[in-house]
Amino acid sequence: MKTDDLIRALAADTVHQPQLRTTLILGLVPSLAIAVLTVWVVLGFRADLLTALATPISVARIVLTGVLGIAATRLALLLARPEGSQIARLWPLAVVAAAALGLLLWAYVTTPAQARQMAIVGKTMATCLVTIPLLSVLPVAALHYVLRQGATTAPLRAGFVAGLAGSGFAAAIYALHCTEDNPLFYVTWYGLAIVGVTLVSTLIGTRALRW
Amino acid sequence: MMADQGEVWGQLLMAANAGDARSYARFLQAVTPVLRGIVRAKGVSLGPAGCEDVLQDVLLAIHLKRHTWKPDSPVRPWLYAITRYKIIDAFRARGRKIDVPIDDFADVLAADAGPDPTEAADMAKMIAMLDGRSATIIRKIGLEGVSVAQTGAELTMSEGAVRVALHRALKTLAILRERHVK
Repeated sequence: MKTDDLIRALAADTVHQPQLRTTLILGLVPSLAIAVLTVWVVLGFRADLLTALATPISVARIVLTGVLGIAATRLALLLARPEGSQIARLWPLAVVAAAALGLLLWAYVTTPAQARQMAIVGKTMATCLVTIPLLSVLPVAALHYVLRQGATTAPLRAGFVAGLAGSGFAAAIYALHCTEDNPLFYVTWYGLAIVGVTLVSTLIGTRALRW
Repeated sequence: MMADQGEVWGQLLMAANAGDARSYARFLQAVTPVLRGIVRAKGVSLGPAGCEDVLQDVLLAIHLKRHTWKPDSPVRPWLYAITRYKIIDAFRARGRKIDVPIDDFADVLAADAGPDPTEAADMAKMIAMLDGRSATIIRKIGLEGVSVAQTGAELTMSEGAVRVALHRALKTLAILRERHVK
């Protein structure tokens, strides 16, 4: 086939796909809504949610994970464009991670030595480590779908930010239920859940996001 | 002069994405010689026919991913990022590695197809792997230059159905090529 013939066939195809931003909103908003609904119906919001939202150390969980979710989603949308890999800068994600580690360090220093181990282990570690990855499935899948519709030239990085974004949002939503307000607990276990999901998403991304 | 060219491409692609088929054809015709120049400069070892294969891969990718261009961003980085990705892909498929610094693209001169444009072999093979009707639609519209309406009349399909079938066929071609490449 000559290239001119191909061009003629391409030009005749006038079926248009929606903008990536539209696909993202249509995919991510419902999947986050489902996650919130699931937490509400299955686990229930914590009884003192309003008080917790006014307590800095407690609300820091939601802020940190929420900011991670938003920052990583923006990066995913950028990396979904072919030229995005030349422009995308990942350092804002490191800032969030550094803030979380700073909080962890602060909590370690301010918690009495004999209370530390109990604070780290908490009471709901298992629930946390199971629920956050489960809540991540739909948001991460939605982001992978957007990236598939897009044309990423950095599949590994795209899978990485999609994992961080989805699990960040999932952790923020899980925090509406979870009553463990000590950073020694939540930085450790939310962090571990996020790292796990991100690892899987990155591995999937390197294979599935090629085109 | 280069900046102007990028701007013209941007205007054409914007009109194309808004549904103007004629602007879209002009866009593809305008970028093709430049992309051919890039592919030939990078892929000397592939030979002219091999380069034309890669070029067609690039054009198909540009077509199927044209919604990923943001109208407020320059066309050229977008276009070259796709081209670079597909050139690297083509080399990988042939078991070779290639270093393609994107900055080089600015200096590449447009290459003419020449008096007798090279026939690329891969696309014809892939079209043969499509189902009969899809292959017929692509051949009619591409090779024979039959209009969508006329193709519909000949195949007793509505114009809309032909367009959808064409779109699906092009998507399938891209998937077939990707698989074939691996």
